[in-house]
Amino acid sequence: MKKYQLNKKQLPSFIDHLKKQGTVFAPHKKGDASYSFAKVVESDSVILEYNRTLNSIKKYFLPPRELLLSYSRKDNSYKKGTIGKEKKIFLGVHSYDMKAVLKLDYNFTEGNPEENYLLRRRNSSFIGVSFIPDEFHFSQSVGMPVHDTDGFDIYLEKNDDGYTVKIITEKGEKLIKEFNGLCDALDISSNHIQFQNKLKYNYNRLPEVFEQSWNAEVWEEVAKRCVGCGTCNLVCPTCYCFDVEDNMDLSLQNGTRDRSWDGCMLNDFAAVAGGENFRKSLADRQRHRIFRKFRYITYITGEPWCVGCGRCTAYCTAGISIVDIVNQLCDEYEQKYLNRPVEQSGLNLEGL
Amino acid sequence: MSIAISDIKTQELYSPDISEIIAIKRFTEKEKWFEIRLPEGRSLGHQPGQFVQVSLFGAGEAPISVTSSPTKEGSFELCVREVGMLTKIFHNLKVGSTIGIRGPYGKGFDVESFKGKDILIIGGGIGIVPLRSLINYVIDNRKDYGRLIILYGAKTPDELLYPDDLKLWDKSNDIEYHITVDQGTPEWKGNTGVITTLIPGLDLDLPNTITAVVGPPIMYKFVLMSLKTKRIPDKNIYLSLERRMKCGVGKCGHCQINHSYICQDGPVYHYPELKHLQEAI
Ligand SMILES: Cc1cc2nc3c(=O)[nH]c(=O)nc-3n(C[C@H](O)[C@H](O)[C@H](O)COP(=O)(O)OP(=O)(O)OC[C@H]3O[C@@H](n4cnc5c(N)ncnc54)[C@H](O)[C@@H]3O)c2cc1C
Ligand code: SF4
Ligand code: SF4
Ligand code: FES
Repeated sequence: MKKYQLNKKQLPSFIDHLKKQGTVFAPHKKGDASYSFAKVVESDSVILEYNRTLNSIKKYFLPPRELLLSYSRKDNSYKKGTIGKEKKIFLGVHSYDMKAVLKLDYNFTEGNPEENYLLRRRNSSFIGVSFIPDEFHFSQSVGMPVHDTDGFDIYLEKNDDGYTVKIITEKGEKLIKEFNGLCDALDISSNHIQFQNKLKYNYNRLPEVFEQSWNAEVWEEVAKRCVGCGTCNLVCPTCYCFDVEDNMDLSLQNGTRDRSWDGCMLNDFAAVAGGENFRKSLADRQRHRIFRKFRYITYITGEPWCVGCGRCTAYCTAGISIVDIVNQLCDEYEQKYLNRPVEQSGLNLEGL
Repeated sequence: MSIAISDIKTQELYSPDISEIIAIKRFTEKEKWFEIRLPEGRSLGHQPGQFVQVSLFGAGEAPISVTSSPTKEGSFELCVREVGMLTKIFHNLKVGSTIGIRGPYGKGFDVESFKGKDILIIGGGIGIVPLRSLINYVIDNRKDYGRLIILYGAKTPDELLYPDDLKLWDKSNDIEYHITVDQGTPEWKGNTGVITTLIPGLDLDLPNTITAVVGPPIMYKFVLMSLKTKRIPDKNIYLSLERRMKCGVGKCGHCQINHSYICQDGPVYHYPELKHLQEAI
């Protein structure tokens, strides 16, 4: 793997170099304490040191709202929505969000490969950046090392003077070619970044816990506090469920068929005409949400479908923590199935 | 997991075929039957038990079972119960109107593997809609199958669907046909009682009988209990599930139960498979 040194003050010119090759998307400050991926206009407004963006880059491949068809009721004709084929470069992506894109690739290609997703997803390059985990991150516990470069074309590893630039793919090599000003890599290691292992069990032991967790007490307990707002679904980088809706324009002749993000925590997600709702209670819906991350797709692919970004916890309206839920499931499992006393885990499970 | 996405051939999943309604019949206050012709009279190429996504611009899409047999060519049939916005607009359409069709989707009844077997059909209410596709398929390939036994139950005589078919099934020497209504009327001469009351009296060649059950969610528990008492092995039972659906192609997540998407792995399931899926029944 080729390595270079990119000094901090070279960053804007590096971004300008990228802009010549495609549309660049990178994190920007949003309000006082929040970050958001946006198209780069001013290279020096890009922020590469951030804890997490409100939404992941999923929004570029599966937009929050997307036109599928536009139709005319007069003659029942329709046209598909058009999808741009511009080259996109994502700069400053954290490893867990990259991993989430690789998981969405599976969901949108498995069975019926979806044109809309794939047209948006193709022609994308990814430049990752290292980050310092905060109290909500737990990617380590779902199987990702600190510097997980899976999916990246280039990886920027922070050091005191700037970044070590690691060229991971040929595509990455091309992106950086002709950028003058890179120096030889400095001989410094940044292994001072540590992830804390926050889940009680390592991810590869979780299937055995989840096999016994259908009737766990935690679902009812969490349901007491959850308000069913669906925020945890919307911010999750691996949630991909959507709704489809027809919208008419004022003439009532023409309209569009649009899809938008949906969430399994919302009350009518599994409701059908005639009053039946297959997941009526919040406890049922919480179980579904968490099982989707740790059991259902995992059963088929062997991988957890949670990447440990911590968003669902950081942004939950009711302060519900996915780490606490999983740890409580582990405790219940030990108590009921392994007949062991609960260890003091040091986690605050009160009022969960 | 890393997928080489540039090598994958994409599919246009959400574009319906604009098709024409060529005949309409009203069955009951709530249900109407529609005959649909795809562009150029193309055949739908479905299996009994599969469904299509019906698209009405302005109202959206809804999953509707195909009620005609694949042996019928040039057109296919749907039977729609009016329950909400889309189905109401559908009911107001006239012969000559066009609608969008996507599909057929999902897994239907594996009619090939049923060959040589006796077929026991148990349909409750609107559940008879997909089963009628299977029934007509068996009738059209009569020599490939053993006995054809139909149990059909509705709430009241007014809610019985397919009056013409019912007469045919009743008259045919080749079909054992039993019907019941939960609540009779003074004119009603047939059985009254829930559909499970028809099961104990059946004389079946157990190992050789395939049972296909479709009905409202609540019916399954009771029917499965009766089938168990009757000692019908689980491996001879197939049933069809209903869930909210938006895409029909395994993407939107609405129809998911456990690791299974009903629009892909179902709606027809082999019962032993379902026993491992919590939330299914
Ligand atoms: C596999 C399958 C086969 C079906 N076959 C038939 C059939 O042959 N005949 C028939 O009359 N009905 C059938 N249904 C039920 C039918 O799809 C619903 O009655 C219909 O979607 C209601 O739409 P609506 O707009 O009138 O009602 P609304 O209550 O206004 O529904 C709004 C939207 O919710 C969703 N929805 C609501 N109810 C259902 C439901 N039961 N299943 C799936 N999505 C739902 C749809 O996306 C619908 O557009 C079937 C359902 C499934 C899943
Ligand atoms: S964000 Fe929190 S309160 Fe809202 S649905 Fe999710 S768990 Fe419940
Ligand atoms: S479940 Fe929560 S922590 Fe896991 S990927 Fe989704 S938002 Fe992130
Ligand atoms: S209906 Fe969308 S996934 Fe099954």
